[in-house]
Amino acid sequence: MTPTEPLTGGVAAATALRPPLPVKMVIAGGFGVGKTTAVGSVSEIEPLTTEASVTEVAAGVDDLTHTPRKTTTTVAMDFGCITIDPTLKLYLFGTPGQERFGFMWDDIVEGAVGGLVVVDTRRLDDCYAAVDYFEHRDIPFAVAVNAFDGKVEHTLDEVRWALDVSDGVPVVVFDARERGSVRDALLVVLELALARTEA
Amino acid sequence: MADATPGPDPVGPAPAVRPFLVTAGRVADAAPGRSLPVETQVVATAAGLDALGRLSFERYDIVAACRLPQSVAELAARLRLHLNVVRVLAEDLREAGQLAVHVPDAAATHDASVLRRVIDGLRAVSDSRGVPSDTD
Repeated sequence: MTPTEPLTGGVAAATALRPPLPVKMVIAGGFGVGKTTAVGSVSEIEPLTTEASVTEVAAGVDDLTHTPRKTTTTVAMDFGCITIDPTLKLYLFGTPGQERFGFMWDDIVEGAVGGLVVVDTRRLDDCYAAVDYFEHRDIPFAVAVNAFDGKVEHTLDEVRWALDVSDGVPVVVFDARERGSVRDALLVVLELALARTEA
Repeated sequence: MADATPGPDPVGPAPAVRPFLVTAGRVADAAPGRSLPVETQVVATAAGLDALGRLSFERYDIVAACRLPQSVAELAARLRLHLNVVRVLAEDLREAGQLAVHVPDAAATHDASVLRRVIDGLRAVSDSRGVPSDTD
């Protein structure tokens, strides 16, 4: 549970502490799809919430001008972490998303090693923005269908077809409430990221 | 909601107004690569801890909280400050020598050996928690 090694020499020793290298992954998807649940399932701390800014591109809303209108909105962002060892810490950030807007999440996603797009098969279109984002940013990602109550309303092939993701993008079923299930979904993304470094 | 504040306002609609008083209205540059990544690690320096008694309000809170290294995001959440307020103040405190700011090296975090360590570490995470989770 302790995020860092304990202090040995009192307060002054804090300056000698070398912070861990933070590795960041992003969990994205539509509103209420299970992002925060997924973060909370694997995080060693209760998920924290902070206010972050995202840029909204109001695509297709304002048809009078063809220039996308951008506005910056303050949203709540949930995150958690897993200490790998004293020198390495994995951070999981749940990026806020909503329908109708394409988000520019650069402020949160910059430097992330990979992304997990959480999907509710009853509301597939909620995750289009996230899928588009990771594709365009060329960030390794997987699509994780959240099996609410253990049920998935569409087959993975149907999901893949509907989202039109490339063959290289893994599509998996997981349960955001199950720690082992979320862990395995994150591992799929990390393996993908690793394979890219070795390509 | 997005229509509430068209124009140059870089922080969006309230309730973010009050927090930015502490930065004298300054906001972190939102352009990629120009503001501190959310996972940036910050830790108080000896000078910062020595100066603690002379720091006020949010600056005090940040340096005091950073006796242990933590991310900018954790700091914002625990102190209930807007992320960009913490970014601005962290930069100030760094310039004053009171806070060490470790911006993550993207090349290091994307290194194959680092990814392998994360994978191995994550694999070691057990299927379920030691404590029973509440049902919902």
